[in-house]
Amino acid sequence: MFQTIELQQGIHLHIRPTDQFKTVNFSFKFKQKLSNQAASERSVLANVLLHSNELFPSNPAFRSHLDELYGTIMYLDSSKKGSDHSITLLAESVNDQYLTTGGVLDQVINLMQTILFRPNLEQGTFKESIVKREKDSVIQRIESIYDDKTRFAQQRLVELMRPDHPASIGANGTIKDVSAITKESLFNAYKKMLEEDELDIYVVGDVDVEEMTAKLKEAFPFKARAKKQKNIHENIEHPTSQKNNVSEQQEMKQGKLHIGYNTPITFTHPDFPKMQITNGIFGGYPHAKLFLNVREKESMAYYVSSSFSSAYGLLFVLAGIDASKQEKAVRLIDEQLEAMKNGEISKNEIDQTVAMLKNQLKEALDSARGQIEIYDQYKDLDEKFSVDSWVEKWTSVTKDDIQEMAKSINKELVYFLSGKEELSHEGASL
Amino acid sequence: MKELHFKQLDEKMFHEKMDNGLEVYILPKKGFSKTFVTFTTKYGAIDRTFVPLGDSESVTVPDGIAHFLEHKMFEKEDGDVFQKFSGYGASANAFTSFTRTAYLFSSTDHLYENTETLLNFVQEPYFTQATVEKEKGIIGQEITMYDDQPDWRLYFGAIENMYKDHPVKIDIAGTIESIDKITAEHLYTCYETFYHPSNMLLFVVGAVNPEDMMKYIRENQSKKEFAEPQPIQREFPEEPLEVAKHENKLFMDVQKPKVYVGLKAKETSLQGEEMMKHELAIQLALELIFGRSSDFYVEAYEKGWIDESYAFDFTLEKGYGFALIGSDTSMPKELIDSIKKELKKVEEKWPFGQSDLDRVRKKKIGYFLRALNSVEFIANQFTRYAFNEMDLFDAVPVLEKMTVEDLQKAFKSIEGEEQQTVFSVLPKKEQTVS
Repeated sequence: MFQTIELQQGIHLHIRPTDQFKTVNFSFKFKQKLSNQAASERSVLANVLLHSNELFPSNPAFRSHLDELYGTIMYLDSSKKGSDHSITLLAESVNDQYLTTGGVLDQVINLMQTILFRPNLEQGTFKESIVKREKDSVIQRIESIYDDKTRFAQQRLVELMRPDHPASIGANGTIKDVSAITKESLFNAYKKMLEEDELDIYVVGDVDVEEMTAKLKEAFPFKARAKKQKNIHENIEHPTSQKNNVSEQQEMKQGKLHIGYNTPITFTHPDFPKMQITNGIFGGYPHAKLFLNVREKESMAYYVSSSFSSAYGLLFVLAGIDASKQEKAVRLIDEQLEAMKNGEISKNEIDQTVAMLKNQLKEALDSARGQIEIYDQYKDLDEKFSVDSWVEKWTSVTKDDIQEMAKSINKELVYFLSGKEELSHEGASL
Repeated sequence: MKELHFKQLDEKMFHEKMDNGLEVYILPKKGFSKTFVTFTTKYGAIDRTFVPLGDSESVTVPDGIAHFLEHKMFEKEDGDVFQKFSGYGASANAFTSFTRTAYLFSSTDHLYENTETLLNFVQEPYFTQATVEKEKGIIGQEITMYDDQPDWRLYFGAIENMYKDHPVKIDIAGTIESIDKITAEHLYTCYETFYHPSNMLLFVVGAVNPEDMMKYIRENQSKKEFAEPQPIQREFPEEPLEVAKHENKLFMDVQKPKVYVGLKAKETSLQGEEMMKHELAIQLALELIFGRSSDFYVEAYEKGWIDESYAFDFTLEKGYGFALIGSDTSMPKELIDSIKKELKKVEEKWPFGQSDLDRVRKKKIGYFLRALNSVEFIANQFTRYAFNEMDLFDAVPVLEKMTVEDLQKAFKSIEGEEQQTVFSVLPKKEQTVS
């Protein structure tokens, strides 16, 4: 799918020439070990680098320049995957051939170089006022989770299940760690990113491989760096939850039911494809047991689904229900998993799930971002990635495999977020 | 079958109007393995008062019925339609907006089987009182979910402030009380009036052979019988030009206040290319005044009046239109004052010239070209434009012809204090002090 070129030790360029898109996509993924401090610093760093730079020392000047480049999209993003933290520089630019004026692509490469290597400095470090403003921005981003009750409840569940563990460390870090950042500590984080992070560079679009490689080599003269150990996620120690039921209250109308399960199966485990099918039948799709029995048959929920967090060996069920019906909902959800443990799995359910997984993977490959993200994830497994090889794995999964997978799923914690009872009468009057 | 060629964009589209009135468009995209198909009726939440097919008197149906109908289309005598789509690996969905209801799927295999499932399930209604009653629990939870979402409440709060009588002010899903009144008979009345093929559009985009697909659709449609098409008579109340309320607020369990300044549009009667030009002109003007390169944005961001949630947008349909500008903010007063001040400044003396226009025009053209990578964007936006007699593929040429005077003239539609409203969602802990 991609042609991979090792530019330096620890730095890989992956190019996919295709005329499928009207744009060219670039993605620089800087990866480092995930911790609260790293996530906090790197989220602020991403914002500071995007605010301005040596060539465009004010944000509006930088933004105007992007407008002139036919609204080229360029941003830095802070995210996590497994036990890594990533800073990603993304750019998407219209292909020159669709425009009356050319040369946009070269300017985009120059601009990415400027963002990474020529930040807006004052006496050798970042500017105090910009750092302060962007710290505030990241703090506001962390705080805003509170206003989205589904995200908040999910965060609480994972925090309770896996405190101080990559599973519960947020991609933006913590308010405490962000507050502690100084312009000096941020500059150190910046140097560390450029010098020590593992880097994957992706290019997708109608480009010539040799020409693009030469251009990027010249524009981004990164030095070699130590290669990281491959992450074996299942080895991370964690204490088991103290409780198996936690209920919390906020002022709200709906009840948010979030259930956490553990399983020894993770992304790198040979049984990973079996667990994907198992999750699909349990609650991954509209033909799944949860959707059919909790939503359609019992009319209890608008959304009810399961998801498999393969990096951490965790599985989650989420449902929005009437606050008075927690017990019944938990019982119905338990019954669906129990049925799977007892082997109540039809051929039709398996076929539908395989068809959906296959479709999802093929569809994701229809966008440049999808191609980059899927390749970036699957290339870590020791094999050549292809759609056919994954379809093959899914197709060979049997009913017995699924039953065995279901048996490996242990319910760990039921978290329920709902309204405050004494206030529930006045909810609608405001 | 007609062939339409967009040379500069390197796209070729195929069109045919079926004998029963259904408009079909097919756009093959090279390199794609998926096909995305939407089947849309020009019927949404605002169509609550109308003359039912075959009647002469108008009726008003319960709020939220278009959305309710959308849910109920998926249930048939022999089970749930999602099961069929899953069997062929298709992801199916549907949505209801103010003016449209769309049913859609995407798949990388079994395109004809999935297309048949889509056409047949939307064209074969099955409603019983028992299935209608059962759905009330599910939609009730959907409404409750939205009730807890402060951004959704903010959006509808702002619209409610602007509109006195027009049904755009009513929540798309209705309320628990309004959906309780819905019967199977209501659903049939709405279905027969608005789901006639002559009120619908089918769009196929992605990996598709246009000749074979058109033939397949033609055969599927010719096997079905429909009543004679009849122009649909919708009724809307008289709506004043100015906003209904200048200010309102809601207290919720949020961390930080959320604010929208709404600008109610005076001009809401245009259709076709005039509408496209007008709409794009207002969007460009807003980009100049409130975009990320604007003086306003710089000041508001540096002073901390806005954060990353800051957004602005312009919506226009026949009969209603509005701009919204807002953000989460710890300084709602400063933000509101500065937005109003900025508007006043522009109204008193138009500050933008040719180079400003050129810059935002380039940005917008880039936006359209990028969006043409997305089959979802193409299908949804093409349909929305077609229902307003516009052509999505005209957007770039219309942008290229736009002048500074066009922007200035179009902007008059949302000018003046009479058009302005403010809606805020405030933290509950502040309720006692305010």
